[in-house]
Amino acid sequence: MALNALFSQLLIGLINGSFYALLSLGLAVIFGMLNIINFAHGAFYMIGAFAAYFLMASAGIGYWGALILAPVMVGLAGMATERLLLRRLAKMDHLYGLLMTFGLALVLQGVFQVAFGSSGLPYPIPEALTGGVNLGFMFLPLYRGWVVVFSLVACIATWYLIERTRLGAYLRAATENPSLVRAFGINVPLMITVTYGFGVALAALAGVLSAPINSVRPLMGADLIIVVFAVVVIGGMGSILGSVITGFAVGVVEGLTKYFYPEASSTVIFVLMVLILLVKPTGLTGRGIEATQSAVAPEPASAQGRERVALMVFGVVVIGLALLPLTSVYPYFIMQILCFALVAGAFNLLIGHGGLLSFGHAMFFGSAGYITAHAVKVWGLPPELGILAGVAACAGLAALAGAISIRRQGIYFAMITLAISQMLYFVYLRAPFTNGEDGIQSIPKDRMFGVLDLADTTVLYYVVLAGFILGTLAIYRTINSPFGQVLKSIRENEPRAISLGYRTTLYKYVAFILSGTLAGFAGSLKVFVVQNASLTDVHWSMSGEIVLITLLGGLGTLLGPLAGAFVIISSQHHLAEFGQWVTVLQGAIFIACVVAFRRGIVGELAKVLKISL
Amino acid sequence: MSEYLVETENLCKEFKGFAAVSNVTLKVRTGSIHALIGPNGAGKTTCFNLLTKFLKPTAGTIRYRGQDITDLPPTDVARRGMVRSFQISAVFPGMTALENVKLALQRARGGSFDFWRSRSALRAYDTRARELLDDVGLGDFAGTMAAEMPYGRKRALEIATTLALDPDMLLLDEPMAGMAHEEIDRISALIRRIGKNRTILMVEHNLNVVADLSDEITVLARGEILAQGSYRDIADHPGVREAYLGV
Ligand SMILES: Nc1ncnc2c1ncn2[C@@H]1O[C@H](COP(=O)(O)OP(=O)(O)OP(=O)(O)O)[C@@H](O)[C@H]1O
Ligand SMILES: [Mg+2]
Repeated sequence: MALNALFSQLLIGLINGSFYALLSLGLAVIFGMLNIINFAHGAFYMIGAFAAYFLMASAGIGYWGALILAPVMVGLAGMATERLLLRRLAKMDHLYGLLMTFGLALVLQGVFQVAFGSSGLPYPIPEALTGGVNLGFMFLPLYRGWVVVFSLVACIATWYLIERTRLGAYLRAATENPSLVRAFGINVPLMITVTYGFGVALAALAGVLSAPINSVRPLMGADLIIVVFAVVVIGGMGSILGSVITGFAVGVVEGLTKYFYPEASSTVIFVLMVLILLVKPTGLTGRGIEATQSAVAPEPASAQGRERVALMVFGVVVIGLALLPLTSVYPYFIMQILCFALVAGAFNLLIGHGGLLSFGHAMFFGSAGYITAHAVKVWGLPPELGILAGVAACAGLAALAGAISIRRQGIYFAMITLAISQMLYFVYLRAPFTNGEDGIQSIPKDRMFGVLDLADTTVLYYVVLAGFILGTLAIYRTINSPFGQVLKSIRENEPRAISLGYRTTLYKYVAFILSGTLAGFAGSLKVFVVQNASLTDVHWSMSGEIVLITLLGGLGTLLGPLAGAFVIISSQHHLAEFGQWVTVLQGAIFIACVVAFRRGIVGELAKVLKISL
Repeated sequence: MSEYLVETENLCKEFKGFAAVSNVTLKVRTGSIHALIGPNGAGKTTCFNLLTKFLKPTAGTIRYRGQDITDLPPTDVARRGMVRSFQISAVFPGMTALENVKLALQRARGGSFDFWRSRSALRAYDTRARELLDDVGLGDFAGTMAAEMPYGRKRALEIATTLALDPDMLLLDEPMAGMAHEEIDRISALIRRIGKNRTILMVEHNLNVVADLSDEITVLARGEILAQGSYRDIADHPGVREAYLGV
């Protein structure tokens, strides 16, 4: 009996492994050709499942037709996407591709959520594959066996296509040396378009396969893609076979965990990733230093205005904020903006000045919230000590997360931080002290330092404002310190900084810790504003929001985070009744920022005024 | 002090089976100006990358001041006084010329991990930085963003930044590429002057400059050492003509 359960968990592992393999294979194919990590991959997987559903519902085309048609349709849509959007990024840093496809994923998932809500639509198992066979040691549902076998065949076919055919040879050559292949008279841009379409079609194929097993839901690919990122970090993206094998292997490990230690089943892949990174910082197939330097740098500001101007403008803004309680503006709204501006500022310290894109800053924001809430509510600590506990915990967390991730560059760093943050999300989901989905509610508002009564809205407002000012000045000082100069030089030209004798990894590590600590500070403050600590703040969508606020406000600017937070938080407030359209809007802003508005609001303003803000 | 500051022995570097550098045994005499020349793709830059540990050699050893540095990371090599410039001009584009040089001078205060201190602490280096800029003829560019400087000026800035570390050994990868005539003269004079109490290994395509400056020349072709000696020895060497002219 127990053996039976073991085998059925193994089978589930193999099935999930099939999806991991197909998805990471598609990611690898796309990455090889476009140098883009396709964050929208999970969304295309979801659309593949929906396409199958529509084919059935509206055209009466069943599973077998969908198995061919859905990937073709989604592949064509992918090709259009490449033409219209991704092509614009051809000469830009990899990280912009990640950001744009993240925005695309938000748009796609948001649109489907608007149309279908979040619950699942049923999709039947094809008639020929209903039922199952008894293998003696277990009962094998036919459809599940089919998924594993068919995925394996699809993976091997892809491998054959790329490694063993003439077309594949061109493809590999074009990856290594596009201009040479172009000289042979091959249409490289078309090849890129087709490759993207193909990679995306693989995702859609996985979607169709999964439709009868997991119901068809708008967010079915959202969490999956993060797991696939972890798979990619573990296996690397250098080889086709590597991604396939890693995908299946990771699925099996997950299945085994479900059997032996179910509590860890949602975190095991991330734990595996962390362990592998600790032992081999470059991943299993990593090849030493990743030669290409990767950093999203703000466009160099003009030399005339120096940073004093920014500080002066900041002073004026602060005076305005300090006078706010005299007006009729709703203070809780502004307090939220201040908290988000601070966490975005902390993130900006890392990306705008260190060139490091962390896609996991929600882990600090949310963790600090939980710790502070718990410390104040359960341990009965006064607010200031509660905040201190949250901030200290985040410093420690940043030291750990940084040690794991900082040696990897660019997109890998982004994927690893995202994966670590997702791991923590699952930990918090299960940990008793967080109350799971409910979160920690009704935080007591005691007196801060024994005198400041946080139950008084005006007092709370000034406390939050003071925290914001303190945090922003800390960021300003860091940027304009001797340390900040070295950090800037690393962002601008890391090999040169190394050749001058700077141990660049250490500077990035310190910057990561500072950034995580300050992000935690923002999270701790927010607890007193919103009166709860919940899973929302550790979710990947929060990390995305932090990135969006910073990008929209202006990378590397002092005032950008505040401007970005103002726009994003107000739009959330005002558009709340429109439900998931907000997500669509945010995704669209993401795309717009990457395509046409890379300086952000404050950056553009600074450029027009020829000063540095 | 030993006769040679840098010695390599049978240094090899392969990229996916392609031997970019093979069996290079190079000795750079302490205090000399040593030129490394050769046609495009000969492996000169790769040699620099190996010496400064930006690449790991496939085989062979590197000794600096008689000590084996084959397994050191690149920062440690720089800290021991062997500092390189890059073929593709390596400046910090979003910083002014003055800040570029100060960043190197700042090394003198150690790690500079003090994120809590104002960077006005770095003003102490202003005077020295300006001197260095003057030396390379960039006195008027102190406040200019490196990104906005013409190519030749960027090269000069890179040299000034390298010199700011006061290295015992400089590796200059085509320091004069893209420079106008008068700039070349100025940088030549500068290299000669700094070469008085330093060791310099230099890749340069301008053979007049090489003839003029170098005490010793090594010719590299297809990753191997083709000839070694004074300019006269090299010029008379039949293989060198062939490698350069393909005849
Ligand atoms: N990272 C690398 N990967 C693969 N091949 C490389 C790499 N770096 C250099 N090569 C190859 O090694 C050979 C030597 O290159 P290198 O840059 O050292 O030449 P060079 O002598 O500096 O030439 P140039 O005068 O053009 O600067 C070239 O054929 C080059 O294509
Ligand atoms: Mg070269």
